Amino acid sequence: MLNRRELLQRGLAFGSVLALPRLAWAQGAAKEPGARTLVVLHLNGGNDGLNTVIPYADPMYRILRPGLAVDDGQVRKIDKALGLHPSLAGFETLWGKERLAIVNGVGYPNPDYSHFRATEIYYSAEPDKSPTDGWLGRALEKHPKEKPLRAVALEKERPLSLAGSVQGVVSLTDFRQFALPQGTEGTLAMYEGLKDDPGPSGAVARRALEAFAVAKRIAALQPIRNGLYGPLGEDLAKALALLKSDLDLEVIHLSFGGFDTHANQAGQHNQLLAQAGNNLRAFQEQIETLGLGDRVVTMVFSEFGRRARENLSGGTDHGSAYPCFVIGEGVKPGMHGAQPSLEDLDNDNLRFTTDFRRLYASLLKDFLQVDPKPVVGDFEPLGLLA
Amino acid sequence: MALTGDEAVGHLLRRAGFGLAPDDAPLWRKLGYRGAVRRLLDELDEPLPPEPPDFDPYEPGTIQQVWLDRMAGGKAPLAEKLAFFWHGHFATSNVKIQEPALMWRQYRLFRSKGAGRFDALVLDVSRDVAMIRWLDGNANRKGQANENYARELQELFTLGIGNYTETDIREIARAFTGWGSRHHDFVFSDEFHDHGEKTVHGKTGDLDGTDVVAILTALPACRAFIATKLLRFFSHGDPTPGEVAEIAEVLEATGGDIRSALFAMFLSPSFLDEKRLRCLVKGPVEVCVGGLRGTGIRETPLWVHGSLERMGQILFRPPSVKGWPDGTAWLTSAAVVERMKAARRLAQMKPSAAAWIVDIAFDGQAPPELRKALEAAAGEERVALALASPEYQLA
Repeated sequence: MLNRRELLQRGLAFGSVLALPRLAWAQGAAKEPGARTLVVLHLNGGNDGLNTVIPYADPMYRILRPGLAVDDGQVRKIDKALGLHPSLAGFETLWGKERLAIVNGVGYPNPDYSHFRATEIYYSAEPDKSPTDGWLGRALEKHPKEKPLRAVALEKERPLSLAGSVQGVVSLTDFRQFALPQGTEGTLAMYEGLKDDPGPSGAVARRALEAFAVAKRIAALQPIRNGLYGPLGEDLAKALALLKSDLDLEVIHLSFGGFDTHANQAGQHNQLLAQAGNNLRAFQEQIETLGLGDRVVTMVFSEFGRRARENLSGGTDHGSAYPCFVIGEGVKPGMHGAQPSLEDLDNDNLRFTTDFRRLYASLLKDFLQVDPKPVVGDFEPLGLLA
Repeated sequence: MALTGDEAVGHLLRRAGFGLAPDDAPLWRKLGYRGAVRRLLDELDEPLPPEPPDFDPYEPGTIQQVWLDRMAGGKAPLAEKLAFFWHGHFATSNVKIQEPALMWRQYRLFRSKGAGRFDALVLDVSRDVAMIRWLDGNANRKGQANENYARELQELFTLGIGNYTETDIREIARAFTGWGSRHHDFVFSDEFHDHGEKTVHGKTGDLDGTDVVAILTALPACRAFIATKLLRFFSHGDPTPGEVAEIAEVLEATGGDIRSALFAMFLSPSFLDEKRLRCLVKGPVEVCVGGLRGTGIRETPLWVHGSLERMGQILFRPPSVKGWPDGTAWLTSAAVVERMKAARRLAQMKPSAAAWIVDIAFDGQAPPELRKALEAAAGEERVALALASPEYQLA
């Protein structure tokens, strides 16, 4: 007589197996097709968009940035008007491999210039109200699934973007926090013994066994560090381990800080962009090596861009519109959204051309396959995925 | 079959409180089921206990600590459980308010008025400063109405989705214009209030927030909504139309008196049906407080705060205005691991609870398999096993 695990491994489909599809998933059998993970990376502090995707051909760029403009010869020119910062070799590779979509001029009406409030707006997708939940939390909520783990924030605290009346969202800094305490074997046997009970105890036992199985797998994970470095690299290495382990996560949220470059920006920004570009390239390469290319898309955003006109301290102050990035095998590569004009500024700030909720709507509809309207409102999806 | 004897009393105390403790179990059992119901309801009238002498309401950890201590050791289990119910119903989070003193004031409102008339409670909540800040009351002004409170008031607090229109939301927002706060006080600003004519659920006039609360709480949909919510929290997850109607009728006959609704619910045969025994998944607060009570630990150890966070429930920090989820949604990977760890920690603190844990946690009538496993273990192991068992996760 075969036990259930053997049956599942042989893919035999009959009554008792079909009745337990979720248990099958928990035990590592074939996962449901189309399981996809959105990786969301917040460049914390407000990334200087104008020195990230550079309008090198526009003479106004050098007028607004007499000290900080990147030399024309150093810009990694990717089309007739725009080029990448010299530190973004990683993004240039992704661009060349058609893995990079650049969304220009991202913003929203009446932009806020406070880190806290602007972050709240990007996390909630609700610029007009003081939010109590997040856009990703709502997306999970509108798309309920009976799973013990749905989203991971590789951060100390759960970000607002994942807040919502949905469980299965955890903040995680160390895989070992999922290890079961010593002496739990006897307890697990009790759960096993009850799993066929038709009443509430059985429901609890089955659900808990799934959750234990996932916990056990997470506790055993090791970061996959190939080519990744620094704090962002370490978080991406954990994300890779989670992706590889087939946990069927819908969202992984990360944050990488230091972009609040009010003074002596050039050196810091070089470093930050190099870390972001190199690590994200290595991350994408690993994803494809692991055969997960069709299941993972990474979105990179910030709470705002920076002032078009540089300040007198060799830095830039808080601004508004800026470019976002969407990386993956499935993206429609190239430029999306119009580059804001450098002539028609709003108090030295760029005017947005592309509402960030159109970006979110596209990721929700085209990638996570969730109706975007109840999550972010009535915004036309950008069509970022092929 | 109906639950009887100690099992019925244990069931009642798990639902209307946070479970039995070794030192109060004999007392509750001696009262018998009806006596225990009467006693629980009588204790709703007791004045609020005083805050501890070193109470610092500016510390978020402190307000959670004091409330947990009241749940674990307090003399009015139903009053605390009911305040906890309202906290989840009118879910407000200190993550946004950032003033634990205001959160504590809101708790005191639930604790002192939670068993009274529902319309009075909603009116107090509408003037509560934490709620006003939570749902943008101060941004709601004549000519630039903010609909945040108007929407949630109907969707989550009184009627439920599908029982109002977008027009009702707009008109109610106008009625609440000018209801704001200054520092820690409710203020009504006439200059910001829209005195124009509004129509809310068919009633027209220069309506204000007080009128709106009266209109909404008089609707049959409101009584059914609150009856359903009470049943789901205290009785079982899937109330029938008949059960809802029974409680809604009590609410109608008593002008929305919550105490009367609770009394009717606890005495209804459906509450004591044996199918209701251990049919609700305990939330983290119930697991932790129940574990403290069951082992006889009456003061909340500090580690419980971190434990609750990892299980997914922090008092005064519900995840959103919709409150906490219920049922098996609690049993996430992080949470089940933490439930095991908490069981172990409690057992380490009180291995002597092995002597009474089966009696207290399972009314002396643990299911046979569990009983066998518990009898085979001793000391710390038995306590840990009891608190980590599948049955213990159910109330």
